[in-house]
Amino acid sequence: MASDRFFEQLHREFTQAAEQLNTLDAAIGDGDHGTTMLRGLTKAVSAPDAMRAKAFMRASGGASGTLFGLILLGIEAHIDQGAALDAELAKACERICDLGEVEVGDKSMVDALAPAVAAAQAGKPLPQIIAAAAKGRDGTRDLVARRGRAQYVENGGKGHIDPGSVSVVMILEALFSTEETP
Amino acid sequence: MKKLFNATETMVDDMLDGFVSACPQVQRGSIDPRIIVRAKNAKNADDKVMLLIGNGSGHEPIAMGFVGEGLLDANVVGDVFAAPSADLILDGISQVAGKAGTILLISQHSGDVINGRAATMMANDAGINVLPLLMYDDISAAPPERRHRRRGAAGTMFIYKILGAAAEQGRSLEALMTLGEEVRSRTVTLAAAVSPGISPLTGKAMFTLPDDEIFLGMGVHGEPGVGRVKVGPVSLLVEQMVDALLADRPIATNGQVCVIVNGMGGTTMMELLTIWNETRSALEKRGIAAISPMIGSYVTTQEMGGFSISLLEPTADMLDCWCAPSDSPYFPRIASFAEDQNQ
Repeated sequence: MASDRFFEQLHREFTQAAEQLNTLDAAIGDGDHGTTMLRGLTKAVSAPDAMRAKAFMRASGGASGTLFGLILLGIEAHIDQGAALDAELAKACERICDLGEVEVGDKSMVDALAPAVAAAQAGKPLPQIIAAAAKGRDGTRDLVARRGRAQYVENGGKGHIDPGSVSVVMILEALFSTEETP
Repeated sequence: MKKLFNATETMVDDMLDGFVSACPQVQRGSIDPRIIVRAKNAKNADDKVMLLIGNGSGHEPIAMGFVGEGLLDANVVGDVFAAPSADLILDGISQVAGKAGTILLISQHSGDVINGRAATMMANDAGINVLPLLMYDDISAAPPERRHRRRGAAGTMFIYKILGAAAEQGRSLEALMTLGEEVRSRTVTLAAAVSPGISPLTGKAMFTLPDDEIFLGMGVHGEPGVGRVKVGPVSLLVEQMVDALLADRPIATNGQVCVIVNGMGGTTMMELLTIWNETRSALEKRGIAAISPMIGSYVTTQEMGGFSISLLEPTADMLDCWCAPSDSPYFPRIASFAEDQNQ
C-alpha cells in the first residue's frame, strides 16, 4: 500500500480542522498552526511516493514543520516500506524531544505522542494507541508550557489545550481510517 | 522604504541567478537549485571531508559567497531570514557527501539548529556519514558558564575559513571536528547596532532605536542585547567592547589575536576601518597584538547599521589556515602579518 491515501485522508482532516487549530493556537502561540499544517499537507498530497513527508517539511517550514515531518516520515516508512510502527513512532518522539528540547509535561505535541509510543510498544492495537494519545492531548489543558511561545502567555497557557497535541491525535486517526478502509 | 526587487516570491532566486552567473567558482546544485556548490570538484574529492552550511537569505554575502576552494563545498539557501527546511538541507548533504565524510556547520539559532540537526539524523538514517558542528560566539547571548547556549555571529567565519583550509589539506573528519570545536572555544564576538535593517518582505524596520543610542550585543535580527549606550566617540565604544570580550575570555599579555570587524550592511568602510584601528589600539594598550584582520560587511542584515568585533586567539596551525589562500566569490585574502614582520 502506498502512503498516498494516508496523506489524502490527513489533508481532508486538516482542511476541516485548520480554522479550529488556528483558534486553539491563537490562545497560546502564533495562531497559525492549522494553516502551517495544511500548507505542508497540500504539497504532500501531490508529491511522489517516498517524498510526501519531505514535501510536507519543505512546504510547512519552520521548526514545527520539521518536528511534525519527523512523525510523518516514520508513518510513511511504516506504510510504504512496512517499517514497525512502534519503532518509527518511538524514533520520531525521541528526536522531537531532543531537537525541540521538550519532555513530557511541557505542554507540547510530545504529551500526546509519548503515551502513544508507550501504548504501541506495549503491543496495543491502533485504537488503543489513539486513545492513549487523546488522553495525553486532553491532559495538556492543565499543563503549564515550558517551551515555545506559550511559556510567555498568561499562566503559561494553562486552561488551553496544546494544538500540537491535537494534531498528533489527528495524524494517528488518519492512519487508522486509512488502514481500516482497504 | 524603497527596495530594488521584482517581487517577494522571486527575490531569493533572482539573487541566486545573478550570483551564479557572475561568479565562476559556483553553480546551482543538481538536486535542488537552492543548493550552491563549487563549479569544480575538489582535487582529491574522495579524500576530502565536505563542508556545508544552511542559512536563511538576506544576510549576504554569507554564506553562499564563501563556497569555493579552501572554503565551503556547499551552501543551502533558505528563504529570507528563514532557516532552510530539514529536507532541503538533507538534499544539500546528499549533493556533496563523499567517502571521507561531511560536516554540517550550524550557526546556533533555533530554526537552524532544529532543521540542521534533523537533516543530519535523516542523512544518518540513509547511511550518510555526516556530523553537525554547532557554532556560537556571541558573548552577549549567555554568560561564560553557559557559552554552549550562545548564538552564532560573525566569529563563525573563523570556523568556515580554518576548517575550509584544513579540509582542503585532506585532514580526517575527526580531526576537523576537534579543530572546529577548538576554534569555537577560542572565539568571542560582541556586536553594536546603531540602526535597524529593513525587512525586504515587509518593508518595515526590524527594530527601533533612539537616534542617540547604540544597542550593545544585539543579534542579527534585532534580538535583544545586553544594554544601551549613548552615542559618543567610537574609541570609547570600542574600548568598552574590547574590555567585555577580554573579560569573557582573557588573553595573556604578549598574546596575539586574529580580528574580524564585521559591518552589518549599513556601516561604511570608512567607519569599519576606523573601528579596526581603535580595536588594534585598544588591544595593543593591553599588551595584545591584533593580527591578520578581516574587515568588511560579510554577515549583514540588509542595511542594518552597526558592527561586531570578533577575536580568535589562534594556535600556529589555526593562523596558517586562517591566512591560507582560498578562492570563493566573496571571502577576502587575509594578510599574514606575522610572516611579514619576520621578513
